[in-house]
This record gives sequence, C-alpha cells and structure tokens, in this order.
Amino acid sequence: MKKILEIALGLVTSIGGFLEIGSLTTAAQAGAAFGFELLWAIALGTACIIFLVEMSGRFAAASHHTIPDALRERFGFDFFIIPLTSTLIVNFLVLGAEIGGVCLALQLLTGIGFRWWAIPVAFVVWLMIWLGTFGFIEKGASFLGLITLCFVVAAFMLHPSWSEVGKGFAPGLPAHDKANYWFIAVSILGASITPYLYFFYSSGAIEDKWDETYIPVNRIIAGSGMSFGGTIAVAVLIVAALVFPRMGVTQVDSIDKLSQILTPVFGRWGVTLFAASLGIACLGAALELSLTQAYLVAQGFGWNWGEDLEPKEDAGFALAYTLAAFISALLVVVGVDPLKLTVFSMALTAATLPLTVVPFLFLMNDERYVGEYRNGFLSNAVVLFIIGLAFVLAVVSIPLQIYGGS
Amino acid sequence: MASREINLELLLGCRVFAKSGRAVGRVEEVRAEVERGECVVTEFHVGNYAVFERLSAYSIGRTILRLFGATRAGGGYRVPWDVLDLSDAARPRLLCSTKELKKLSESGED
Amino acid sequence: MRVDLIRDVLDKQLVDRNDRKMGKVDGLVMQMREGEPPRIAFIEVSTITLARRLSMRLGKIVARLSAKLGGQRHAAPFRIAWSKLTLTGNDVTVGVDADETPTQDWQRWLKRNLIGRIPGA
Repeated sequence: MKKILEIALGLVTSIGGFLEIGSLTTAAQAGAAFGFELLWAIALGTACIIFLVEMSGRFAAASHHTIPDALRERFGFDFFIIPLTSTLIVNFLVLGAEIGGVCLALQLLTGIGFRWWAIPVAFVVWLMIWLGTFGFIEKGASFLGLITLCFVVAAFMLHPSWSEVGKGFAPGLPAHDKANYWFIAVSILGASITPYLYFFYSSGAIEDKWDETYIPVNRIIAGSGMSFGGTIAVAVLIVAALVFPRMGVTQVDSIDKLSQILTPVFGRWGVTLFAASLGIACLGAALELSLTQAYLVAQGFGWNWGEDLEPKEDAGFALAYTLAAFISALLVVVGVDPLKLTVFSMALTAATLPLTVVPFLFLMNDERYVGEYRNGFLSNAVVLFIIGLAFVLAVVSIPLQIYGGS
Repeated sequence: MASREINLELLLGCRVFAKSGRAVGRVEEVRAEVERGECVVTEFHVGNYAVFERLSAYSIGRTILRLFGATRAGGGYRVPWDVLDLSDAARPRLLCSTKELKKLSESGED
Repeated sequence: MRVDLIRDVLDKQLVDRNDRKMGKVDGLVMQMREGEPPRIAFIEVSTITLARRLSMRLGKIVARLSAKLGGQRHAAPFRIAWSKLTLTGNDVTVGVDADETPTQDWQRWLKRNLIGRIPGA
C-alpha cells in the first residue's frame, strides 16, 4: 500500500519533533543521574504523544482543516489569540534552543564557537524551506535522521542488564535526590509532549493532501513514527546510564560532558556520531518549528499557505518562516546557552500545554469537524489524563525548576 | 440617511438585560434565513456565555463545563428579532418577559 | 436555508473564485431596519475588525496605522456584500478575484519589494 510510504511524515515529525535537543539532553541527564529508573517517563511521554499525533492526523484527514485553522474557526478570534500568542512565544524559545543545538554540533565538529554558527544555520534552515517542497523536507529529514540509530547500536553493544532495564519502565520512587528526580521526570514529559508536534503534523497531513482513506494508516504512521523517537530516547538513556556514572559524571550539564556519551563504544568516532545525531535531529526540529510558526500565523489569519507553493504565491507565509528562523537565531547570537534555554523552554511548554490541548479535545469531539471519526471514550480519557498531567506539570515544574533544577 | 449598522462579532458575548434590569444571559448565536442572496436575521440565542460557550452546544463541552461549574444546566433563550431592543448595541434589552420566550433545548440547537 | 451566523460564518475561511485563500470572515455587519428584521449586509475582512474585537482602542490604533501604511483604501475595514458570498460546507466562497480586493495588497507589496526579489521565489 503506497500510503505506508507516507510513514515519512511520521518519521520526520518524530525526528524533528520528538527527537531533538530537549529529549536527547533529558534522556542523557536521566540516565546519568538515575540509571534506568526514569525509563517510565519516556514511555509515558511517548504514549501520550502517540495519542495526540494520531488525533491530529485523524482530525486533519476527516475535517480537511489544520488545527490552527480550526481553533480560530471554532472558538473565535478572541479566544484563538491566547493559544496563538503563547504558542508563538514558546516556539520562539524552543526554536532558539534547536538552532543552538545545531550550532553546538558544529562546534563539536569544527572547534568554532557555537555563536558564530547561528546565522549560517538560520540561513540553511531558511534556504531549505524556501527552495524545498514539503515532500523533500519530510523525506530528507527522515532519511538523515536514521543516523540516530547509532544510539540503539551503542545500547546493545554495552550489554545492559535487560531485566534492570525492564524494571525501569515501572514507575517508582527515587532512592535519592527526590526533587531532581521529579524535575527530570517533568522535563522528559515536557520535552516529549510538545504542541508544535501536533500542529506540524496536522499541517503536514493537509500538505500531503490526506483524506478519510488515510485514517487507518495514520494510526500506524503516528504510532511507528513517535515510537521511533521514543526508542532512540530510551537508547540514549540506557547508554548514558552505562557510560556516565563510570566516568564519574552524574550531572550532564555541559556540551563537553554530553558529547562523550558515545566515546566508550565508538572511540574516536563517538563525538562525531553524537554531533551528527544532535545536529541532524535539531536541524529537523528547526525546520519543523520554523514552518509551524508560519502555519500558526498564516492559518490563523486565513492567508494562502503551503510549503509546496512558490514563495511568491504565499508571501505572507514565506515572510513568517523567514522571520521565525532569524529572530530565534538571535537568541544564540547573543550567547544564550542552548542547554539552559532548552531546560527553560521545556518547563514553559509544560506550563502552557493546557491552552492548546483543551481546545483540541473539544475539536476532536465535534461532529461538525470529524464526523464519525470523533474520539471514542479511550481517546478522550487519555487526553483528559494528559491535560491533568499537563496541569500538574505546569503547577509543579516552575517551583521544581527553581528548587530542583541546576 | 444610512441605516444603523451593528457589528455582530462585537455583539457576541454582550450581556442581555430583562425589562427589570436583571441580566438574563449573553448573546451566543445569531440565527438567520438565507434566501435568494439575502441574509435575514430571525432570532438571537441568549445563554450562559462562558469563554467556551461556542462549544457548549455539544455534550462533551457541556459536561466538562459543568464539571468546572462554568455553566448552569438549563441553557438559555431564543429571542426573536423583534423582541430584542438594540437601540443601545452595548446594552441589548428584552422587550418582553423571559416567560414568553422559548428555551434553547438541553441538547443544543438541532 | 437556515444559518447560524456565529458558528457557520464568522471566522470561517474565505476563498476567492479561483480557489485561493483570501483571509477569514473577521466581522459581520448587520443592518437594522424599521419594522423589518435586520439583515446581514456585509462581511468584513480586515485587521482593523480583528483588533476591534480585542479592544476598541486597539481597533482605532490599527486603523490609523493601516491608513498610514496603505493609504485611504486601508483606512476602514474592507467589506464584501453578502450577495457575493456562497456558503459551502467547509468555507465561504466569494465570487471575486482576491487580487481585485485590498486583502492581498500587503502580500503583493511583499512580493514586489522583498520576497519576489530573492532568487528562488
């Protein structure tokens, strides 16, 4: 079935959306500080995002609307301005962190300081969107992103105790350092459940011209795409758990420490493979985020939009993603530490999740949009659970950030 | 002389008052008949307009809103066009008593 | 045909006769008539209308800015007569060419002066 080739959308959303500087660094930090104990957080985050992304695809295929478009249409401009503004601001920060991630990767490979790379990286991101089509970006990022499988290889080569790994998937209380444990758990969830993922996916489904016939295969695409990202994150955690404590490192808070993660397994190539994985994952994220900023604005205001259109056909949309990339790059230019920016923006993402997930839930139950494909009890229950979790994250993560974070 | 114009998107959410001055709800919806290129307003729906009022016509919306106490069960009223006084667009007033008005049905407009 | 104006028309996507997106229904202008039911005379497509929905003062500021940047054509919200509209299930189709309306002016300006000048556009 040709549709299964559309798995590329799932993969790219995963690689750019799930697997990026946030999930990589939190997984590494979790492994270094708590061994396998936080695997459950990755599993929970992955399960949550699978549901949200599947819903996003189903929504687009059934209603022929993207989520931002439907949010304005259904709730009115007066309400829409709230999730629009909060998402634009959070995305601006996350995009800065991702561009920073690419810059850090380039710093590792070349020795040239990360700040110098900010504008060139923004330029490359812009150029790829400007000249490319959606299909090109989808498939290109998916293909290149396969390099992150090196973490899975490393995890196997390190021969972890698989029974110990299995135990980590059961949620448990930490033996030590409770504040830090929950802070990292919260960060993992905030890094996994990011709204730009499902905004991007719904726009991507419309770009790929999905209709109702795609709904069954959408489940597979969303599931396998997000599972891929989750698997890599799990692998990163396992590798970090086996590598860092032996080096005497329990706090992975600098790029120099983090970059050593693959050295025990791959020797000289360890840093290169890590840098390539980080760089490609963050590049994918930067592409997605820049496009998402433009989607949010263009779809919210009803402008012509589409990655497949030539920029002169949708000048407003083109201006939006151009500004998005370069303005976020400024964060890196002025020297904001990408790792600190990542941590901060993930907490902020967690805090603002309810603003987008709650209206999305209403959309998923509105027959006028999704018709017979409306949410069943399970989907509603899972989303309500996510909203509850998101709210707890929001309330808890900020003080934890101050008390438990570095 | 130009006839008076009112922007509906600004009327949305405005509180509607009874003859006694008591607030009876907010403008939620404006129903019209479209025929031969003409769109003629027939009635206004006045209900418990919460931030999510544009959702409450659907059962899950109502249920969740009720969970949060943001809406009282019992919906609102259908106000025919000739019974709503819009001479002051910021303060729409009923020209009859609420007892004479049809209610918005529990499960939302069909 | 019965229409719920807030639910089915306001904030809906507008599409021109060539199927190009041209904004959303930002406002609905209701004309009051003596002894007769009010009628919807126009829809409004304008950032001024949008700004006004958030606050009257913001609306005035945007109107002034709009006039300064775009001239008289943009000093007041752009209106489309109801008779030119067709309500499809998904959106509101207008029987005009988007380029004939002021809605695309700023994007045309962008195309001419900025976006269009960059190679690959």
